[in-house]
Amino acid sequence: MNTAVNFNQSAANSKVLVRGLDFYYGATHALKNVSLSLYDGEVTAFIGPSGCGKSTLLRVLNRMYDLYPGQRAEGEVLLDGKNILAPDLDLNLLRSRVGMVFQKPTPFPMTIYENIAFGVRLYEKLPKSEMDGRVESALRRAALWTEVKDKLKASGLSLSGGQQQRLCIARTVAIKPEVILLDEPASALDPISTAKIEELIDELSGDYTIAIVTHNMQQAARVSRYTAFMYLGEMVEFDETNKIFTSPRDKRAQDYVTGRFG
Amino acid sequence: MPAGTISPFYAARRWRNRIWMSLSVVAAAIGLIGLFMILVVLFWQGFSGLSPAVFTQMTPPPGSSGGLLNAIVGSLILTVVGVLVGAPLGLLAGTYLAEYGRHTRLASVVRFINDILLSAPSIVIGLFIYEVVVVPMGHFSAIAGCLALAVLVVPVVLRTTEDMLNLVPNTLREAGAALGMPRSVVIRRISYRAAKAGLVTGVLLAVARISGETAPLLFTALNNQFWSTDLTQPISSLPVVIFQFALSPYKEWQQLAWTGALIITLAVLALSICARALAARGATE
Repeated sequence: MNTAVNFNQSAANSKVLVRGLDFYYGATHALKNVSLSLYDGEVTAFIGPSGCGKSTLLRVLNRMYDLYPGQRAEGEVLLDGKNILAPDLDLNLLRSRVGMVFQKPTPFPMTIYENIAFGVRLYEKLPKSEMDGRVESALRRAALWTEVKDKLKASGLSLSGGQQQRLCIARTVAIKPEVILLDEPASALDPISTAKIEELIDELSGDYTIAIVTHNMQQAARVSRYTAFMYLGEMVEFDETNKIFTSPRDKRAQDYVTGRFG
Repeated sequence: MPAGTISPFYAARRWRNRIWMSLSVVAAAIGLIGLFMILVVLFWQGFSGLSPAVFTQMTPPPGSSGGLLNAIVGSLILTVVGVLVGAPLGLLAGTYLAEYGRHTRLASVVRFINDILLSAPSIVIGLFIYEVVVVPMGHFSAIAGCLALAVLVVPVVLRTTEDMLNLVPNTLREAGAALGMPRSVVIRRISYRAAKAGLVTGVLLAVARISGETAPLLFTALNNQFWSTDLTQPISSLPVVIFQFALSPYKEWQQLAWTGALIITLAVLALSICARALAARGATE
């Protein structure tokens, strides 16, 4: 497997290390012997045609698949060296360390303030003033503060789609995760909102290890340092983004990034 | 064919359309006219007997005047206790079906039984409670009536709860889980909140359903001509009083039956309007 070179080389600064991962939806074999690294503080993009398993891979990293019976993963996913596929793992704690933002904005049916404070309260007991500070800094990080600071008591559902998505990012950031998983976070948004989200991803990298699934090749090229190209459940090529986009080794990766299929 | 002319085929199509349209309008009108006539008679007869005495005096002996106070209060007690017992059961069971047991065998069995219960004749429920509560106790009682109504509440609330929770998008649950929320917190703080209007509507519909029930009360709460709020004793209720008074030969009793029917109708109408308003608000939220 030609990706082996890459992840062995730099296993040292891997935040998340996936080794020989297989995933099944019932009898369907959705991920086949997938291996890759998410490097600490870097953005990694997962690209590939629909149904190639990129979202599935993302949902293994916080074990979101566990919500559904009949879905199972085999292999190893190491977060800071500890296997998160272990059956006795505290899933809620894992998900507080590995946050996730979804394709469609999913604000909770409560106020903007509560959308953020709610998640924080699950893990920390903060006095009101500190909570206010935490909410503000999360909204600032998500570049939403100036737009909502006068209506924190308004429903999260009253915001526009782009604002809702940034609220979801703020909510994720507020609980101070180490890894953030983004599942096509901009595909339901207009170009201006998309640009804002991309800027945001850029700013968050460094502090967080980020994985982003995207159908948009330009977006992958713009925001990520590393790119994983997947095809039919296999990790075809994993390398630095500029290499994948300029000189991919695999013919399928080349065809995909040049827009010949997908 | 020049523009504007109508082919014979299309003309026939238009005729068929007109005929079927007229038939549906007639069918709707027949239904509405019947309903409207019932309401007119009810309002006409009911309002003429409406007076302060109705709300301040007890049901009278034959041949004298009186009111419906004990029946109104009895109905309130029966309905409130029935809902307090039945609604939590329905809510919890509906939550199990929608949140935990979606595809399990137990869930499909519960769902099937619930559907049967939902359409079970209410007199059968009354007989059931008679057998398991009234007979062991040795006498009729308000609590037996409450339990019979509770059994009627459960399937209604269970069904609406499951349906409303199923409408909550899974992505919202996943978003909660992605923040590290335990399942129970996701259900209580996210699913319930997102489905709140629907859940309340379900309970209100159940209240409307039981507040007019007569059959299950006949063998359980029986009736009581006097003031009683003791749950261990028989208690009066509007539907049973209406049933008894309407069949009687006494003018005063018949008048009170009309007035009682009007009061129940108005109460159910108010509840339905509340339920609709809530549902509409939930839809726009």
